[in-house]
Amino acid sequence: MSRDEAVAEVRRRFSAAPEKVFSAFSEAHLVSRWLSPSPGFALTVLHFDFRVGGAYRFAYHVPGGETMIVNGSYRSMEPPSKIVFSWNIEPPDEHAGLQSEVTVTITPDGTGAELCIRHEKLTQAGAVERHAQGWRGALDQLAALLNAVLAARTQKPAP
Amino acid sequence: MNSSLDLTFRALSDGTRRSMIRALARGETRSAGQLGRQFRSAQPTISKHLKVLEQAGLVERAIEGRVHRFRLRQKPLRDAGGWIARHQAFWTGAVDQLDRLLLEVAGDES
Repeated sequence: MSRDEAVAEVRRRFSAAPEKVFSAFSEAHLVSRWLSPSPGFALTVLHFDFRVGGAYRFAYHVPGGETMIVNGSYRSMEPPSKIVFSWNIEPPDEHAGLQSEVTVTITPDGTGAELCIRHEKLTQAGAVERHAQGWRGALDQLAALLNAVLAARTQKPAP
Repeated sequence: MNSSLDLTFRALSDGTRRSMIRALARGETRSAGQLGRQFRSAQPTISKHLKVLEQAGLVERAIEGRVHRFRLRQKPLRDAGGWIARHQAFWTGAVDQLDRLLLEVAGDES
């Protein structure tokens, strides 16, 4: 593990305006053209209802014939600057059943925009417990912990 | 379904428990008493944390008479790291594709 953050987080600056970046999340015909890990993972938008409380369902056609299906719902949105949605992978995927949440933040940057996508694992009890336990801070420190543990093992293997 | 990884993340949500994992990182065993002294916590508190870590499979317990010794198990940590790495790779690839899409859309409009 070489990363120093535990939350999956990606930031990128675009020359496009915030409204354009926002539309890439809000319009199904655009979503289907980019929201996958690589061009080889074709995305079919099975359901798309972009409003607070609305649901989405995406099918990813993995090279080799398998299909991964992700569903979720939009928890909040503030066009053109913020979108929060849940993210659940359906069985039989190895990570099926784990509740997670994606927060998209779009900030004006000159004539362009900076995008931040933050994907975090939730506990089953949800947001109240998450805040009560300092969950966000926990995730921020998790990768550092993993690095420390794995590095210690490398230096001195367990008997 | 994936309750084991859920338990791992939940166990790791507490600062004292993360520190206890660090203390066990080199793979040696520590008794509950040693851990209690190291973290200056009351023994019932330490026992409670150790139980959460044990239920998540992050530590294994060996009982020698009245002494309970604990050792770290790495697999749950690796599994948790796998979830994070997978989603990091997903969004990094997606944002690369978004970059290309936005350039195409801008090109079409100009």
